Amino acid sequence: MLGPGVSWYLGIAAFLFGIGALGVLLRRNPLIVLLSLEIMLNGSNLALIAFSRQHGNGDGQIFALAVMAVAASEVVVGLGLIVSLNRKRLALDVDKLSTLRG
Amino acid sequence: MTVGAWICLLAPLAGAVAITAAGTRISRVTAAWISTGSVAVAFAGAIVAFVDMLGKNPQNRSHISSAWTWLQAGSFKVDLSVLVDPLSVFMMLVVSGVGMLIVLYSIGYMHGDEEERRYFAYMSLFVFSMLMLVEGGNLLLLLAGWGLVGLSSYLLIGFWHERPSAIRAAKKAFVMNAFGDATMALAFFVLIAHSNSLAFSTAFTTSGHLSSTAVNLVALGLLGGAAAKSAQIPLHTWLPDAMEGPTPVSALIHAATMVTAGVYLIARTHVIFEHARTIQLLAGGLGALTIVVAGLIALVQTDIKRVIAYSTMSQIGYMFLAVGIGTYANGMFHLMTHAFFKALLFMAAGVVIHALAGEQDIRNMRGIGALMPRTKWAFLAGSLALVGIPPFAGFFSKDSIIAAAMADGWEGWVFWVCALIGTFLTGLYTFRLYFLVFRGEPSPFVREHHHSDHGTEGPWTMMLPVGILTVLAVIGGWIQFAPFWTPITRWLAPVAPTLPSAEPHRWMELVASIAAVLLGLAGIGVAWLVYERRSLRVPRARSVQRLFEHKFYFDELYDSLFYKPAAALSEWTRRGFEEPVVLAGGTELGDDAQFIGRGVRRLQTGLIRTYALALAGGLAVLAVVFIAVK
Repeated sequence: MLGPGVSWYLGIAAFLFGIGALGVLLRRNPLIVLLSLEIMLNGSNLALIAFSRQHGNGDGQIFALAVMAVAASEVVVGLGLIVSLNRKRLALDVDKLSTLRG
Repeated sequence: MTVGAWICLLAPLAGAVAITAAGTRISRVTAAWISTGSVAVAFAGAIVAFVDMLGKNPQNRSHISSAWTWLQAGSFKVDLSVLVDPLSVFMMLVVSGVGMLIVLYSIGYMHGDEEERRYFAYMSLFVFSMLMLVEGGNLLLLLAGWGLVGLSSYLLIGFWHERPSAIRAAKKAFVMNAFGDATMALAFFVLIAHSNSLAFSTAFTTSGHLSSTAVNLVALGLLGGAAAKSAQIPLHTWLPDAMEGPTPVSALIHAATMVTAGVYLIARTHVIFEHARTIQLLAGGLGALTIVVAGLIALVQTDIKRVIAYSTMSQIGYMFLAVGIGTYANGMFHLMTHAFFKALLFMAAGVVIHALAGEQDIRNMRGIGALMPRTKWAFLAGSLALVGIPPFAGFFSKDSIIAAAMADGWEGWVFWVCALIGTFLTGLYTFRLYFLVFRGEPSPFVREHHHSDHGTEGPWTMMLPVGILTVLAVIGGWIQFAPFWTPITRWLAPVAPTLPSAEPHRWMELVASIAAVLLGLAGIGVAWLVYERRSLRVPRARSVQRLFEHKFYFDELYDSLFYKPAAALSEWTRRGFEEPVVLAGGTELGDDAQFIGRGVRRLQTGLIRTYALALAGGLAVLAVVFIAVK
């Protein structure tokens, strides 16, 4: 097998996932939160593809494609929400959008 | 020949469905004519069946026509079938013929009512139910028709649903009838248990092999249904109250058709009753008792329709007496003539009520005859037929019942005495009504409230049926004059032959006729002396009067026997069980849920980051657990 072993890929995947998770947890701008979510998804995609490659089985790659499709639709919805928030001149701050509090 | 019977059965159903489906798209008058037309078609179908049957050999006149299997449970199977035999054709003719006249009469009577379409849909439904009852090809279909007439009678009695008294009366009638339905169903269960079939023929042959207890139970159950439907003591209290319905309803249901269903049932299942002779005599005894009691109560009623209602009970008593001693043809003959003259009396009373804008109290009606001569003559003809004065219809049918009672041993003599007392009472209360309402100078109330329809006494749709029934009340009895000519007895002989014990001698016929006519005339004479010449005063006896006015305390008795204990029991369970257990338990449950909810609500911060943190934290915990367990 060419190139580095699967553990390298997994390390990068975990790193990406961690960056994304921290971004989701720490940032307040919904745009950035959305971006961080995408990074998390990509981290997991990378892990899927790495395992797929290691096992010589295409299922994981198909799964990654499906995740991409979901991510794309999620971006469509999320960006739409952010645009309409902006149009209503609401603060672009997830901490202030808390009307769902019980 | 069953085609006529099927047409007869289904035409009124089609009428009811058409009126219901069309709703407000058709005018009220159209609905009325659809209903009348559907019943007229039924009558035509009955005539076709009758003419067909005339051409057949008397032994070959009974046919069952099955449409399909109605229900099947294991080896138990019931067809949807009609039975066409002389008895059912006889009933079909009476029900659809008199029914047609009464529905026609309703067009005039109900004109201007708010909900005429509903009324006419109910009328058609009722006629269908009644025809199903008489044509049903097995006992289960008979019971279905039995229940359906109960339902449509409930709907029609409570037709004026804005009146609380009408709703009460409808409920009372329904509950009483449901009691009868239940006893009938129990009788059928016994039959099914023994023969696994509800076909008439099987039931009849089985009843011959049953133990006497079983056959007595079956007959008793059937008698319960018959007595409830026909308003015989002790299940009679609903009929007078049912007069809350529109008058044509009273004429149709409570004079001509439904209340006679009990007589039909006993004649139809006479084989079972003959195997349970005690129960059959009990039916005759109930009839005899009802003749006298209803006649006495009728003497003191002040509502014109209630007097006629009690008279109906009393006359059905005669029919019960007839089928009780086994002279079925005479019972059915009286059923027919009674349908004519009692429908006539109700409809003539309806013309008066209509002209007086709904007044029903006879004390206010005095002298209406001067303003409505034709109605007066019609009512007089009906009254004479009811009392049984020759040559009016009642004479021929009632007197042969009385004569047959003489032939039937010692209990026959008891029945005979009751029947004769009943004749006297009939003359008295009928002509009390006639003299009070129609004779004399019109009272101020009548002058003030009487309004005539364009100079006539009523619209032609009302007067034509009254006229036809007047003619029938006069000549309707001539078709049979025992012992000289007896076509009805011969017609019904293949289905319900008269018991030998109820065949009177000629001298009995003669004695019964003379006694009955004399007593009837005596009743009329007393009524004339008291209410017309006023030379006799009404005897005053407080206690007796109160007894009659309270209708022998039947209502009060049932109230304290059944209603009050049931009400007390439900009150007790409400206090003892529902309030502390069901209601309090529910409240407790709700309180607890609220308490928990109040605590859990704190978790809902509205900050997405807390949720995400919870997710991530949960994931981390899971990962740690996973690794540790691995």
